[in-house]
Amino acid sequence: MNAFVVAATVLLGALAPLLVAASRRRPIDGLIALETAGAVATLALVCLSVGLGESIFFTVAVIAAVASWIGGLVFARFLARWT
Amino acid sequence: MHASDLAVDVLLGLGVAAELLCVAGVLVMRTTLDRLHYTGAATGVPALLVLAAALVRTHMSAAGLQALAAVGLLFLLNPALLLLTAHAAARTDRPEEP
Repeated sequence: MNAFVVAATVLLGALAPLLVAASRRRPIDGLIALETAGAVATLALVCLSVGLGESIFFTVAVIAAVASWIGGLVFARFLARWT
Repeated sequence: MHASDLAVDVLLGLGVAAELLCVAGVLVMRTTLDRLHYTGAATGVPALLVLAAALVRTHMSAAGLQALAAVGLLFLLNPALLLLTAHAAARTDRPEEP
């Protein structure tokens, strides 16, 4: 187990409290926790792909970065318009 | 241990520690804008430190370029998301204003 796999494990562990916060706080604070979780997940995927030497995970990291950004935009627009 | 291995360990350790600090800030801070501040920080220096560690290990290969793309997208796109979220937070706190 190299340093990148350890870093990915730590970052994936940091997702748990963020997801709990996203589900329990009021919607705007949950959205902020979700945006942070997207960034942490992207970095975890980058670390995992370097650590395991699997190039396919890099593609997943790029898609995760874009998808979490689009999801955050949609939620933010939704909250701004309907709250 | 080579110098590159040491550089990877230091950069990765700093990057993960800074990212955990940002996560703690999002969880602990009291106001919405304070939490948003830490969200923005999570895609700044910590992401660049992790990218630097990945580039030291993979160099500018296809894998390194893909890591650069992932972290670059995160770094460049996130400010727009932060602005929109701050706007939504302001609308949530003061819904009567246009």
